Amino acid sequence: MISFSAIVSFLRKEFLQILRSREMLVMIFVFPIVELLFLGFAVSNEVRHVRLAFLDYDRSAESRELVSAFSSTDRFDIVPAEISDTPYTILQSWRAQAVVVIPAHFGRDLNRLDGPALQIVLDGVDGNTATISSAYCSGIIQSFIRKELKSRDPRLLAMLTGQTLTGGVDLRHRMWFNPDLRSSLFIIPGIVAVLVTITSMLLSAMSLVREKEIGTLEQLMVTPVSKIELLIGKLVPFWLISFVQMAISLVFAFLIFGVRPTGNIPALFLFSNVYLFTTLGLGIFISTWSSSQQQAMFFAWFCMVFMLLLGGMFIPVANMPAAIRAIAAINPMNHFMVVVRELVIKGAGFHELHNEFLILLAFGTVCLGGSVIAFRKRV
Amino acid sequence: MIRTVDLTKRFGSFTAVDKLNLEIGRGEIFGFLGANGAGKTTTIRILCGLTRPTSGRAEVAGLDLARRSEQVKRSIGYMSQRFALYEDLKLRENLVFYGGLYRLGPQTSLNKAKPYLERFAMERYTDELVREIPPGYKQRLALICALTHDPPVVFLDEPTSGVDPQARREFWSVISDLAASGKTVIVSTHYMEEAEYCHRVLIMRDGISAAQGSPAELKAAHGVGSMQELFLLLASGE
Repeated sequence: MISFSAIVSFLRKEFLQILRSREMLVMIFVFPIVELLFLGFAVSNEVRHVRLAFLDYDRSAESRELVSAFSSTDRFDIVPAEISDTPYTILQSWRAQAVVVIPAHFGRDLNRLDGPALQIVLDGVDGNTATISSAYCSGIIQSFIRKELKSRDPRLLAMLTGQTLTGGVDLRHRMWFNPDLRSSLFIIPGIVAVLVTITSMLLSAMSLVREKEIGTLEQLMVTPVSKIELLIGKLVPFWLISFVQMAISLVFAFLIFGVRPTGNIPALFLFSNVYLFTTLGLGIFISTWSSSQQQAMFFAWFCMVFMLLLGGMFIPVANMPAAIRAIAAINPMNHFMVVVRELVIKGAGFHELHNEFLILLAFGTVCLGGSVIAFRKRV
Repeated sequence: MIRTVDLTKRFGSFTAVDKLNLEIGRGEIFGFLGANGAGKTTTIRILCGLTRPTSGRAEVAGLDLARRSEQVKRSIGYMSQRFALYEDLKLRENLVFYGGLYRLGPQTSLNKAKPYLERFAMERYTDELVREIPPGYKQRLALICALTHDPPVVFLDEPTSGVDPQARREFWSVISDLAASGKTVIVSTHYMEEAEYCHRVLIMRDGISAAQGSPAELKAAHGVGSMQELFLLLASGE
């Protein structure tokens, strides 16, 4: 038999304590925004403002046109180079991350369609940046050449594209769901997933252990309040706060980054709810095995590190070795991350995520159920 | 109101309570005396349902502890050595919270606590955060929290440790009134002059009952003049 008055009494007390604690309020309302700002702006695979030098041995109208084609984008910042420089000296001295060498007679060869050649030399220390800048360079050079040829004779363009560039097949890449390849679009749903996890798992565990530390848990055990009433009273506030945090993060993700969930928002909250069963359950587990807030903090972060690394927040799980993927499959955050991204970025509906829902529900049932059963033994 | 039969609690190879037999009646003030580690607190914790005995039986408020611990919890009040209050809540909020756990509405809790607050002259602290009020008053508040739901059995684990003589006198006057109104009060204490206020006492040593009876009987039986002497004789084995 569950007593409402006991639960209401608990909820009132929890909210009073939370609202009265400045650290708690900061954690709940300021952290999401700060994390969003930091991670949203800082954690980025986007390559912009790559320092690029030109070694122009041609000094023709065409070569100057080419350079100006590069200067009209924010992907590259053109840095000056001396005629005495070589690609090696430029890269070695960190003046540029990429060098485009325009050989003598480039303009003449271009006009004659006599195999105009260009060389791109990249600093491969940061492989990711090098690969992406190389692709950018090729793109700009290709469109430069198209434009040049078109302005002379459209037939030349047809000849060129047909023969030399793609061997007759006109490949066009189109990135769906995130056409600009903005990493904020990828990272922000991840931050939402992480925040929800921290609040529900860490804060609930800390709050339960605190009762142990100050001796009130013992006092509570002498009262007729049941384990279920106690856990409902302690956890419902963090369950609600997780939703508030999620709403705040989504609103700020939109205001700051223009990231807006394209999918079904009620579905997002429904999934989060199921996921919260798991994290709240883990929170109870952690509190059951800890006798001080430090210990709880340690356990919670131990779990968090695994959940984060194997959660696909930064490193795609699909790229991991099979054994690690098997471990990642039992990481609830991994599944939740997929769901949040699908819902926010791809605009998936509930039915596409049917399996993930069942998986999260199974995790939730096991974690929450198990932890509620285990809770008694330690108090 | 309380009866134990061969109550025993072991922690590994250490026996904290060894075959304890007790019979405490309604309206009695029963004192648990003993040195640190003699098993007083463990016994109280068992009787409150916080610790399960290794063997033996116990009845509290006429209910078997092992089988009906939930009903037992409704019938007891407990004040632990470390008064379990929420420092970041106001005095009033602590009372309302604990009252609520016993299914009392906020107003009922405050009404029940009012006479005690008046008696301890601490109404002025009602809207203060507990962390702001002096330690002696926190201890009084802990006592009030254990009493608002009118339990027939009250356990006080060293309620007067560290309080000034004035507060100690107030505590004992409340305890006497509780007993007079038919409640059973179990008090553990270090202060032997307090033992004199008990109707009966149990002196524990190494988990066993070294002596049991009224202070007058015990003093006469052992030929000593004060509880202090009796305690030194029995509890510390000197």
